[in-house]
Amino acid sequence: MKRGHLIALVVIALLVGALMVTIQDASTYATFELAQRKAPEQVTVVGQLDLEQPITFNAQTSMLRFTAVDKDGARCVVYFNQPKPTDFERAEEVTLTGMSSGDTAFFAQDILMKCPSKYADEAKLSAP
Amino acid sequence: MDYIGEHTFWALAGRFFTYLAFTGALGTALFYGVNWLRPGACSGPDELGRTKTPDPAYLNAGRGAFALHSLGVLGILGVLLTAILSHWFEFDYVWRHSSRDLPIQYVFSALWEGQEGSFLIWMVWHVLLGWILVRSARSWEHGTMAVVGLVQLLLTSMLLGVYVFGTKIGSSPFTLIRELPENLGLPWTTIKDYLIRIPAFRDGQGLNPLLQNYWMVIHPPTLFLGFAATLIPFAYAVAGWVERRPLEWVTPALPWVFFGVGVLGTGILMGGAWAYEALSFGGFWAWDPVENASLVPWITLVAAGHVMFIVKKKKTSGGLTAILTFLTFILVLYSTFLTRSGVLGDSSVHSFVDLGLNGQLMLLLGFFAAGSLLLLLLRWNALPKNAADEAFSSREFWLVIGSLVLLLSAVQISFSTSIPVLNKLIGPEGLLPILGEAMAPPADVFRHYHSIQIPVAIVVSLFMAAVPFLRWDATPNEMLRRVLPSLAVSLVLSALAAWGLKFDQPMYTVLLFTGMFAAVANLDYWLRYLRGTWRAGGLALTHLGFALILLGALISNGKKQAISQNPVFLHKDFPANEHILLPLRDTVSMHPYWVEWTGERREGHFQLYDVHFYGTNPDQTPGEKLFTLSPYIQLNPRMGNVREPSTKHFWDRDVYTYVSFADMRSTEEKESGWTEEMEATMGRGEEVFVFDSYLMRCDSILVNDAQMVQETGDLAALDMAARLTLKHMDGRSETVDVPYQVRGNQASPGEAEFPTLGVKARFEGVSDDPGRFKMKFWRKAPDEQEFILLQAFIFPYINVLWLGVVLLAIGTGMAVAKRLAGPKAAPKA
Repeated sequence: MKRGHLIALVVIALLVGALMVTIQDASTYATFELAQRKAPEQVTVVGQLDLEQPITFNAQTSMLRFTAVDKDGARCVVYFNQPKPTDFERAEEVTLTGMSSGDTAFFAQDILMKCPSKYADEAKLSAP
Repeated sequence: MDYIGEHTFWALAGRFFTYLAFTGALGTALFYGVNWLRPGACSGPDELGRTKTPDPAYLNAGRGAFALHSLGVLGILGVLLTAILSHWFEFDYVWRHSSRDLPIQYVFSALWEGQEGSFLIWMVWHVLLGWILVRSARSWEHGTMAVVGLVQLLLTSMLLGVYVFGTKIGSSPFTLIRELPENLGLPWTTIKDYLIRIPAFRDGQGLNPLLQNYWMVIHPPTLFLGFAATLIPFAYAVAGWVERRPLEWVTPALPWVFFGVGVLGTGILMGGAWAYEALSFGGFWAWDPVENASLVPWITLVAAGHVMFIVKKKKTSGGLTAILTFLTFILVLYSTFLTRSGVLGDSSVHSFVDLGLNGQLMLLLGFFAAGSLLLLLLRWNALPKNAADEAFSSREFWLVIGSLVLLLSAVQISFSTSIPVLNKLIGPEGLLPILGEAMAPPADVFRHYHSIQIPVAIVVSLFMAAVPFLRWDATPNEMLRRVLPSLAVSLVLSALAAWGLKFDQPMYTVLLFTGMFAAVANLDYWLRYLRGTWRAGGLALTHLGFALILLGALISNGKKQAISQNPVFLHKDFPANEHILLPLRDTVSMHPYWVEWTGERREGHFQLYDVHFYGTNPDQTPGEKLFTLSPYIQLNPRMGNVREPSTKHFWDRDVYTYVSFADMRSTEEKESGWTEEMEATMGRGEEVFVFDSYLMRCDSILVNDAQMVQETGDLAALDMAARLTLKHMDGRSETVDVPYQVRGNQASPGEAEFPTLGVKARFEGVSDDPGRFKMKFWRKAPDEQEFILLQAFIFPYINVLWLGVVLLAIGTGMAVAKRLAGPKAAPKA
């Protein structure tokens, strides 16, 4: 069984190695303030759109600019160098992956939107 | 009270079938189980090797109970299908998942869109496979059917929808909307003819537009058939280990494993095909948590299948085989938990709704995980002791190593996919706060998964190439040499391919070679050593198919070329992106094509954008017209518009495009020229900054007229206006009154323009804050030409991937057929 034990050891070593790599890759959930301190590290910020600020999309550069509010209530201007997602204004929550510029802006590489689910409409049923 | 137009009878019938299915499953588990576990009546040989005949009365009772269960499950299916087809929108499930305009072929997609429906389709497959088991399992029938009964009992409980001591058990697809907890006691539920009176009941919410795709008709049932197929090896393994036959169960379970590998594999890639055709993320695989959750059990099932051969031929590795088989089924349950519990909400594009059944799902998962572990611990000593090490050159040694590599791959994917679950368990707000800060999924998922999965794929494809040439026990050297021709051929082929396709990344180039090696070696093995016979070719064809899947994925993704490039220079650290601006009727270069967008047209609820592709002349001018693609936007006011791709298929490449941005405002809105809508809540004397360079001030609120209803004191009519002053940074300012009217309970927002400053304001209504008002502002858009943004990719040799899927399905099918028709297969019981 010696070889069996050896294999088991190698497998465990590989597993630990793989998990270490995995954990190192994991990004962290942050607020804009934490993102700013960690810049230029990649972080994930969960927040909401600030609809009281303009949302502009420049088609020439396909640059979207908007303001988001994080869970602490801090506001930050976000730049997203991708076309504006459909129904962007309707997003209830946005998950922004990217990095802070270190001062006033956040550069998002990816935006995941949580749209009001169709269940929201159900509330309308109760008030006919 | 009798409600008018409600199909109360059918709701009751549906419930009845659910309880019938539940009771039937209970009976199946009990009758088979008791007969199986009764002292001395075990269907397997006892400790002394004696086989006792089970009591036929119990056997018949078990079969009878399973028949009742089957009737119940089919009844649920029938009632639910009828309700969807007949548009009975008083049923919550029907209302949430379908609508009147749903094309008939998508009725099935609606059926399994929700959690209840997906449990149902899973149970239907279990019923079907259960009957095959009854007919074919012979001495294993008691043990395996007891397990099937138990699993069905727990799955049926997910559909019960009853409350026991205030805890919700299951969610019934036959719940009426007025019976939902949030609606109980609301005034409208006492209206007799609410179905006619309330307009919301005239039509359902409709099927998510993303799911209105033919792949979504066949992908979920195929995937669930694959999931269901893993139950059978699991049931055999449990039966074998309980009966102290930890090796013998493998032989009857083996065909089911191949069946599962083929069906689940095809099902997963059908999901990929759907993503490729209906989603605009630009590929067939995105390492999305939901995709991963179905891939992981497939990987462990493949690993289990390989070590089962060792058990069968060498009577060793019984422990590893059982662990992998148990793990596969537990991972299937875990996959259901991940995708159905809403825990992935932040990390997946798939969105699922939490039905409040997490506790129940976790119990189900915990029960089978703990039970399997307990069984392994209690029966481990029943395994025969292995005397000697396997030889280095033996097939069994490398099969074990290969399955461990697959396990490694599964562990990494599972771990990363489970990050949201880990946060719930050990995150800062979890049960055991170990982590200081919550972990987020990796920012670059492709880099993250590929860093482990590409090396795994390299090792696995090397094994796929060489291990079939090895012999059991030990391989003589001259046998080893048989693999050399394939090695030489694949070296030459992959060198040519790497040169032709300009492979420059070392890892990709190595995988190109090992993938090619696996394909060539298995083709060679089939043609030379199995003489190209279909009957024996299962192994070689399955391997060939999987090697082609790897190669197709590698080439089409590794050499995916974004031909739409934004030429605008932003910043040296901020690369321009891959979306090209196409002004209307302007021919734009998109190497190697020239493209022209000629306008949009409407077909039903699709908005199509015709994009013509032209060749390029030697002098770099647009050449002749080659083809036209019509990417479209599916319009869905209820759930949001969806951008869908259009692809031109060539034998050696696909040209894939989708509209990544289009001005979706209506024609009037476009011509009105107002843009950059923003909201503000204002009170008297408050100021807000708008559009970067303006200050908006609310000077006063003017009430021009207000009339009350004499008797009640309610407001009958109100005419008011907000006086706003807009000041530009350069000092110009303008003042306007924005009107607002109320007549009875009808409010009408008014608008006003600041003509010289080019801003429009609308009085939306009152805010929840007393004394403050909701306003919306727009600014005048500069005159602009119509345009769309387009993203276009070339996927080279993606057909290799689809060919691989077909071969994988054929190969596993042949492996199943061979074992069913093999000399050991006896006539059916």
